[in-house]
Amino acid sequence: MRIDASVPMLISDCTNGRTRFPLEAETLGEALRRLVEMYPLLRVHLYDEQGGVRQHVLLYYNDENIAWLDDPGRIALKPGDKLRVLQAVSGG
Amino acid sequence: MAKRMNLLVGTNKGVFIFASDERRQEWSLKGPFLSGWEVYSVLGDSRHGKRIYAGTSHAAYGATIRVSDDFGESWTQIEQGPSYAKDTGFSLNRIWQLVPGHPSEPDTLFAGVEEAGIFVSRDRGTTWRELDGLTKHPTRPGWFPGAGGMCLHTILIDPRDPRRMWVAMSAVGVFRTEDGGMTWTPRNQGLARVPTGQPQEEVGFCVHKMVLDPNNPDTLYMQEHGGVFKSTDGGDSWFAIEEGVTLRDNDAPFGFPIVAAPNGDLFLLPLESSEQRAVAEGKLCVYGMLTGESRWSPTGDAVTDEPRHVSVLRDAMAADAMESYGLYFGTTSGEVFCSLDRGRTWDRLPGQLSRILSVKPWIVED
Repeated sequence: MRIDASVPMLISDCTNGRTRFPLEAETLGEALRRLVEMYPLLRVHLYDEQGGVRQHVLLYYNDENIAWLDDPGRIALKPGDKLRVLQAVSGG
Repeated sequence: MAKRMNLLVGTNKGVFIFASDERRQEWSLKGPFLSGWEVYSVLGDSRHGKRIYAGTSHAAYGATIRVSDDFGESWTQIEQGPSYAKDTGFSLNRIWQLVPGHPSEPDTLFAGVEEAGIFVSRDRGTTWRELDGLTKHPTRPGWFPGAGGMCLHTILIDPRDPRRMWVAMSAVGVFRTEDGGMTWTPRNQGLARVPTGQPQEEVGFCVHKMVLDPNNPDTLYMQEHGGVFKSTDGGDSWFAIEEGVTLRDNDAPFGFPIVAAPNGDLFLLPLESSEQRAVAEGKLCVYGMLTGESRWSPTGDAVTDEPRHVSVLRDAMAADAMESYGLYFGTTSGEVFCSLDRGRTWDRLPGQLSRILSVKPWIVED
């Protein structure tokens, strides 16, 4: 299944300058793994030393924050799905 | 062979490069490069070609090192950069210092980071590993941050021995190694102690910046939170050198940078006090203790005709290595100044940048 992925401009030097690109995966869990396998420079920007998503980074599956999804490995991807990396809104 | 001066300026919104010929009278400005990234550390390295290293960080995206081999036009992120092992429990939030290794180790670089620690690369920056003897020191549970974070901001290497190094951390203190970073010993005797509320007597010293005397590597100088200090025994003991620089009665001189020029001239840019954290009366007044002198005195006011109620951060002041050295500093309001006469008179370089975090001269030979 091919879905659309996107990252903020500031870290697009880790994705060959692209802020939007296709990603091949069958499940959301696989898509998350593939994202940092395809673009390993992204890993340090998305995840902290303990392997958790950074405090001010949001990973969204369509309109849902993956932090609140039970098991991304069991979520089958569908045509038109989106995986988005967002910078959390914080501060004034 | 002609020399060009590049002044690398790291700000909280990217890197800027001022360029001039060796007369340093007229400057051009390029940038911002790495726009949007904090650049706490920057290094121009001519040991293998012409490469710029930048320690980039961001509140959301963490810290990495990026390099440019074309004077900032394009950048590559180092994939295996400094990173704490998962089991340490530490976070790498900023890269405060990038320094080349000893001249006998031309492929070596060191990085000082926040949370405080030191990393080394032996392959020109491609891969890095922590010198974890420092963070495994028994005093580590007693390390606490200063207002700027718990940062390792100074790395000095003895020109006589690549295994002998000093690091300084805020608000931890000075540590020295004799074995290339495997083991470290606190070297803080005689420093003013900032109350950190913790019981370990060996640490808790808020070093702001430390330099090595270019003519005698057993002599070090320090701007500390609680005063200005000197050591003549490699850091084994420290004593205050503050005559002439007291800005407010009964207060130890407060500031962040201290610079040793190639001839041994020393410079400070004191602030009014720890409470104000801005220069006194809006005067960007540089203090010097020139070679042969034993007390500080004002050498020059960078802006004589109007006030600048700003600060100068610990790595935002530097001297270049030209035969007749230039002295530079950048302010928290984004102005850069240059003096070619040992700090007496100052020129403002073009442009208004963002908050200046680091100022590093880099001489390039064509």
